[in-house]
Amino acid sequence: MNQNRKTVWILTGMAIAMLGLGFASKPLYEKFCAVTGYGGTTKRAASNDTQIIDRTVRVYFDSNIAPGLAWEFKPEQRFVDVKLGQSALAYYRVKNTSDEPIVGTANFNVTPIKGAPFFVKTECFCFTEQLLEAGQEATMPVLFFVDPLLDEEKRFKDVKDMTLSYTFFRVKDPKTVSAAQSRDALN
Amino acid sequence: MAAYGDDAHDDKPGFFTRWFYSTNHKDIGTLYLIFAILSGVIGGYLSFMMRMELGEPGIQFFEGNVRLFNVYATMHGLIMIFFMVMPAVIGGFGNWFVPIMIGAPDMAFPRMNNFSFWLLPTALICLLASFAFGGFGGGWVMYPPLSTTGSPGPAFDFIIVGLLAAGFSSIFGAINFITTILNMRAPGMTMHKMPLFAWSVLVTAFLLLLALPVLAASLFMLLTDRIPGGTGFFNPEMGGDPVMFQHLFWFFGHPEVYIMILPAFGIVSHVVSTFSKKPIFGYLGMAYAMVAIGVVGFVVWAHHMYTVGMDVDLKAYFIAATLVIAVPTGVKIFSWLATMWGGSIRFSIPMQWALAFIFLFVVGGVTGVALANAGLDTALHDTYYVVAHFHYVLSMGAVFGIFCGFYYWFGKMTGYLYNKWLAGIHFWLFFIGVNVIFMPQHFLGLQGMPRRYVDYPEEFEMWNNVSTLGIIPTGLGVLFFFITVGEAFWRKRPAGDNPWGEGANTLEWTLSSPPPFHSFNTLPRMTDDGGH
Repeated sequence: MNQNRKTVWILTGMAIAMLGLGFASKPLYEKFCAVTGYGGTTKRAASNDTQIIDRTVRVYFDSNIAPGLAWEFKPEQRFVDVKLGQSALAYYRVKNTSDEPIVGTANFNVTPIKGAPFFVKTECFCFTEQLLEAGQEATMPVLFFVDPLLDEEKRFKDVKDMTLSYTFFRVKDPKTVSAAQSRDALN
Repeated sequence: MAAYGDDAHDDKPGFFTRWFYSTNHKDIGTLYLIFAILSGVIGGYLSFMMRMELGEPGIQFFEGNVRLFNVYATMHGLIMIFFMVMPAVIGGFGNWFVPIMIGAPDMAFPRMNNFSFWLLPTALICLLASFAFGGFGGGWVMYPPLSTTGSPGPAFDFIIVGLLAAGFSSIFGAINFITTILNMRAPGMTMHKMPLFAWSVLVTAFLLLLALPVLAASLFMLLTDRIPGGTGFFNPEMGGDPVMFQHLFWFFGHPEVYIMILPAFGIVSHVVSTFSKKPIFGYLGMAYAMVAIGVVGFVVWAHHMYTVGMDVDLKAYFIAATLVIAVPTGVKIFSWLATMWGGSIRFSIPMQWALAFIFLFVVGGVTGVALANAGLDTALHDTYYVVAHFHYVLSMGAVFGIFCGFYYWFGKMTGYLYNKWLAGIHFWLFFIGVNVIFMPQHFLGLQGMPRRYVDYPEEFEMWNNVSTLGIIPTGLGVLFFFITVGEAFWRKRPAGDNPWGEGANTLEWTLSSPPPFHSFNTLPRMTDDGGH
């Protein structure tokens, strides 16, 4: 019977460990995405100190609004052509079409997914929550560059276009620091 | 032959105590089997209604409430997996025959065994209660946001609670099986002499132990995500990621398909060996092929989600890992063929089921190898091709394995012989029926018919017609199953200790039929002359 008891403790431990791993998957998955760019997760940097090299990628801009947010949200340019390592500035226009102030926050990803880890943002409206008063219009900037490391591996040779996509969500409880921000902090 | 064992002290408790407070592995196994048959009838009814609806284009039976079709599809999947196949192969045959085959008097923890069983009816009631609140139609995979913000109301909460109960039932069961198999084998019964069915349940139990807690964790997260103002694990608005749920779900979901099929592998091995009058070919290879399938089964999950937007390299890995599983599976298929090779084959009822299992499982396995390729899967994802594939491995693989075991051990469990003509009619009707249902679904899938829809364009009419016709022989087959069982209990032809004679040489055939209430009060001793 003692042997049985020992076995049970080991097996229960394994089950509990897997249960814990299930819950731990949340931070692990975020770390994994941030490190590998999985799911189109981009990088974030304080400044651009890379060398500009002579290879151009065309960056397209895309915008989405989550259901339940009465905003208009459009990129001001369809695309920009940037050299690898060159900082570029792009603008999105947002407008609050409702008659109440609304706080929104933007989520983002980059396709092709394998190119996402090389897409680096130095400034972005998506880093913080945005408040728009009723009827207010605003222009929101994103400053970014594509890391020249993209040129070093053969498997990234075919990355000629990239699409940066944003989705604005309504922040229901603006006073707290949103989870989206803590995700940004990880990047 | 005496109907009961020769044990004079074979005291059985009264009816209520025996069946409701049961701690006897054979009684609990019987309860599991009865429960699985009941659930199978419910799940079968749901699929019957879906197939009737899909018989021709337009809405026939779900007029005014087409969402109910998706509720039926969801519940059919959940009930068949968690309340029919798993209770039958693991709870039913596992409880009945694992202790006997390894020469143990009972399971290691009989009271926990009782608890495991009674959690299941509770869980099923929770699941069925969701119908009272309109049901949940988000598919058995339960992907958010459809299962979180997309399904308000208590219906899905009931399903979560039910699945948690079923999951914990299986975890406790798994702990019980592993402890029993590791610690309670009779003297001389080494791991490498253990019958293959016991091996299959051991591997299955480890899969349950490692996979189900992950499902439990993701269900907990779904539950808290559903609370208004709750968490946002899978909610992008709050920094979560719905794709993460798919990863967690399939990390459980892929081992789950092996949980359903491995015990069937074990059963088929015994039947093929018995009715070829030869020991199983490549015993060790067979045992470790199951271990290999179990291990590799944990690292292939993302082949269910090639279309979420995945890096090419990651896809390449999951394709390769998935294709690797064909190797140990091939070892098993060829070992069964090699067992039959040169054997003295009898086409008794269990052998017919076993041969049909091998044939149909190979068909399902081949379409699985096709689907493993991300390039092809991108086109076939969520089409009827996938439906056909997993019904060939489950509703034909696992279910044929269950019937195979049922007809193999029926005499042992009840003490009665069934009428082999009635059982033969059951087999042939069922075999023809399920093939008529599911073979055309390959064609529908290749034509691009998506799954989970109540209606379809007229282009798909012909093969849907054929598919629906298949429910007639299938339904009649199920009817003949009940007739066969009823007739056997009515006629009470004694089975004798070993109705299969030479070839059936595992320990259960050394006991009376049915075995005494307490078997192996003195432990059997294994000799070196084989015996698996």
